[in-house]
Amino acid sequence: MRGTAVPEIVRFAAENTTQTGDILGLGTEQRVRWAKGLLPRGPVNGTVFYSGEMYPVMGYAEGAFRMLKRLEGFMDVNSLARVGPLMRKLGIYRVGARALWGGLNEKYQRALRDAVYVLRKLGVEMGYLFEDEPPSGVALHTYGLLREFKEHAEWVSRRLEELGVRRIITLDPIVATAFRLYYPEFVKDWRVEALHFVEIVAREMARQGVRLRLSRRVRVTYHDPCYLARTLGVVDEVRFILGRIEGVELVEPPRHGVNTGCSGDGGLELTQPPLARKVSYERIEELSGTGAERVLTSCPACIMMLRTGFDSMNLGLGVDDLASLVAEAMRNGVEREVETDAGEERREKLFFKRYRVLPRSPEPKSLELDDLAEMLLWETDKCKKCGFCNVECPTYRALDRLESRSARGRMTLINSLVRGDPVRPRAVLDRLYSCVLCGQCSQSCPVGLHVQELIVYGRAYAIYSGRAGVGPGA
Amino acid sequence: MGFPEALSEISKRVGKSKVLTDPEDVYAYSLDASTEYRRAPGAVVRASSDEDVRVVLEVADRERVPVVPRGSGTSLTGASVPISPDSIVLDLTPMRRIQVNVDDGYVMAEAGATVLEVDRACREHGFFFPPDPASSRVATVGGALAENAGGLRGAKFGVMKNWVLAMEVYLPGGRRLRIGEPVYKWRWGPDLLSLFIGSEGTLGVITRAWLKIYPLPEKVVRIMGTFDRLEDAGRAISQIRRRGHVPMMLELLDRETIEIVNEVLGYDVELAEAMVVADVDGPREAVWRMAREVEEVMRESGGRTRASDDPEEMQQLYQARQGAYAAVTRAYPGVLLEDITVPLSKLMVALRELENLRREYGMRMPVFGHAGDGNLHPTICFDPKDEDQLRKAREMFIRIGRLAIELGGAISGEHGIGLAKKELFLEEIKAIRGEGYLEVVREIKRMLDPNGIMNPGKLWF
Ligand SMILES: Cc1cc2nc3c(=O)[nH]c(=O)nc-3n(C[C@H](O)[C@H](O)[C@H](O)COP(=O)(O)OP(=O)(O)OC[C@H]3O[C@@H](n4cnc5c(N)ncnc54)[C@H](O)[C@@H]3O)c2cc1C
Ligand code: SF4
Ligand code: SF4
Repeated sequence: MRGTAVPEIVRFAAENTTQTGDILGLGTEQRVRWAKGLLPRGPVNGTVFYSGEMYPVMGYAEGAFRMLKRLEGFMDVNSLARVGPLMRKLGIYRVGARALWGGLNEKYQRALRDAVYVLRKLGVEMGYLFEDEPPSGVALHTYGLLREFKEHAEWVSRRLEELGVRRIITLDPIVATAFRLYYPEFVKDWRVEALHFVEIVAREMARQGVRLRLSRRVRVTYHDPCYLARTLGVVDEVRFILGRIEGVELVEPPRHGVNTGCSGDGGLELTQPPLARKVSYERIEELSGTGAERVLTSCPACIMMLRTGFDSMNLGLGVDDLASLVAEAMRNGVEREVETDAGEERREKLFFKRYRVLPRSPEPKSLELDDLAEMLLWETDKCKKCGFCNVECPTYRALDRLESRSARGRMTLINSLVRGDPVRPRAVLDRLYSCVLCGQCSQSCPVGLHVQELIVYGRAYAIYSGRAGVGPGA
Repeated sequence: MGFPEALSEISKRVGKSKVLTDPEDVYAYSLDASTEYRRAPGAVVRASSDEDVRVVLEVADRERVPVVPRGSGTSLTGASVPISPDSIVLDLTPMRRIQVNVDDGYVMAEAGATVLEVDRACREHGFFFPPDPASSRVATVGGALAENAGGLRGAKFGVMKNWVLAMEVYLPGGRRLRIGEPVYKWRWGPDLLSLFIGSEGTLGVITRAWLKIYPLPEKVVRIMGTFDRLEDAGRAISQIRRRGHVPMMLELLDRETIEIVNEVLGYDVELAEAMVVADVDGPREAVWRMAREVEEVMRESGGRTRASDDPEEMQQLYQARQGAYAAVTRAYPGVLLEDITVPLSKLMVALRELENLRREYGMRMPVFGHAGDGNLHPTICFDPKDEDQLRKAREMFIRIGRLAIELGGAISGEHGIGLAKKELFLEEIKAIRGEGYLEVVREIKRMLDPNGIMNPGKLWF
């Protein structure tokens, strides 16, 4: 990756993900310590709880994110990425991070423990792979390092097979998306089933007729993560779960379900933190406008963006993983309905609707430059420039309707890059990296272009064409 | 001085952050929704105030730098694409304040606000803004005025022109012109408003407009009529209007449109030679009576009808019309969207001639449109990689325009001229209005824009 158009911070995250197993490179010990004594080692009946490369270290990311805000104007994220390896060499990286942000991280690790508690209470049998857990490598996909992603995914697939894993349950919807949608595209014979926590909890609660009770009354709002709602189509499960907890009142924000709004992550929090923060403001105002006392969600990156956002705007709103609220209720006991007429309705609820709002993914023949170019040109030439995709594009909105960082503008730039217009791969990549991959554009394109995925492929093209020295200013 | 110097002066005066010159920024502005014309400007200036607009027009005029005003770039004719690389695209989208004044019955909107944003703001007060181009969620007030846009509600409410009370315009050199007043009755001198409406950015830059608002209809009933013959649908449409009904929406779709919508979007819309969708609005007590009368007219012309005031069912009746653009663009990578208007009495002839044309060329060409005001969108579908199809599509495009002229109509009902229809436009002017008309508008242009910096190459300039 050296000597390419890829910015330092992306290289840092990508290398950490594949080598250490977490985005910050804090190491296995950090990554698995939350699970000690909680779960048996290895799969149980082929099933594992999968923590992924973000959740266990997200508190450190939050700490760094907060620090960067204070250092704005003095230091940017790419210089910070240079400090990391340096500190590692000096042997002070982990210790330093722990001392600074270990406390913050506790909250994220607690959510993982809560999730496991809930699943076990519902009788879900599963183990944990501890240091054997192979990282999903989804960051490689996010940042358009698709050749590296393919290679990594093939290794993960073999590894999981060796370990006897057939089913993955995860609290991270980005990881769930990777295993459910991207792996089958990149790995031949991918057979592992991947479920998000809320899917299995809703199903089990319905099957067992579970009712829960909080020992307080609380007004909550729920922020649907883009990956969970729009991409995976998981929406009704969350409402079902919350509807089964006495004491919880749910107030929906104006944009919810498959029409949810982005909270500024999707990889942008890492590459361009100031813009990520700007993007998050609209959502933060919307969520706080609901009058809820607490905000719930189901994604580590969303939690980080919302927590830091509410704090920086002094809104005093707390953010929790949905798993933590369910666990709190379960600690009061689990009531199971006796079989009645309600049984019928309950069985129906076993199958929740899977919303499909995104078009088909583009399919290049291979990841060779020529094949990428052919696919990208064919697809982006179909774009009619109607601008419908721009209307809800969060970066376009946050940047006062700047075309070059909008969905339609990105389609134009990819087209220009591939056609050989005098645009520079590195600078195009910068525009493409400013996208949060929320998928609003793909959802609203009348032509049926999967704009979000074309942007990922566009990133790949910019990276590999830049590396190959193709195009001006490479 | 030249382009670089002009730019550096502008940059100094409006602020560097508003001036974009990186290729990766300016290339994003190299196209509009015609997708046929492509040229990146040398720079984009993102105006966030009147003063920014004034500075750009002052310096550009002095230095003879072409200026292309731009809203959201949804023009279907190349109108918002520059023709020379040393141009400045003046992006108005950062200027988008909206103020509704219910007491005086208007809304003030800056040029960059979208038409839908204006409509939504009015709805908060129980009013609405009637012109609704199908692109309203993107198209800006400035762009819609400069194109004199119409929309689905045009049958009853007309086009943008009918809704403007006053405007503020900046001329080359930086002069400000306030035209009209935000009052419902006002008169002195000639009406300059109309001069700028539909001028496609060739005379000056609109920065804000005061627009009339209208009370939300009490109730709407939607009627769908299906017909076994296209002519019957055409007759139904002219009869509805002749009998004194003015539906808020009166849309037509032909068989090919329904087929493509069903094929591509997987809908299950009843296949018929033609479909007419009408929205009748009125007081709660009377609206169904009016709707029944419209249904009756459709039946007399041989149609089968369904009517509803239930939101979900109304949506269903409208499904095929709503999906038309999406279906066509999904099915065909190449699409030429025509936009002719014919006198209502000639609607049937026009439909028949279009059918003949389709047969003669053996191409797919769904026809849909705002038939209530005689405005049709025959949509020529082709494979852009196939030379023969491309040639045929271009020929058909010209012949459809000529058909409109022959029938005493217009080559553009709402999308404008831009680059795409310049030749047809001159034909229309010669055929209907004579050379004298051209001389007059050219003189006006010379007077207002003596150095020819405003959106050169568009319309007749
Ligand atoms: C899917 C789709 C559906 C459409 N449906 C309709 C429809 O139903 N009815 C209809 O009438 N049109 C329709 N259009 C065409 C187009 O949306 C309209 O012409 C719209 O009004 C253009 O607005 P815009 O902001 O995108 O303008 P732009 O494309 O940016 O500009 C259009 C022209 O206006 C000029 N201009 C823009 N802003 C200003 C300003 N402030 N001052 C002076 N000149 C200015 C530009 O120089 C250019 O010549 C449709 C387009 C698409 C893509
Ligand atoms: S381009 Fe699409 S995916 Fe990216 S931020 Fe905009 S709407 Fe979201
Ligand atoms: S919505 Fe689709 S066709 Fe329209 S501009 Fe966006 S990508 Fe292009």
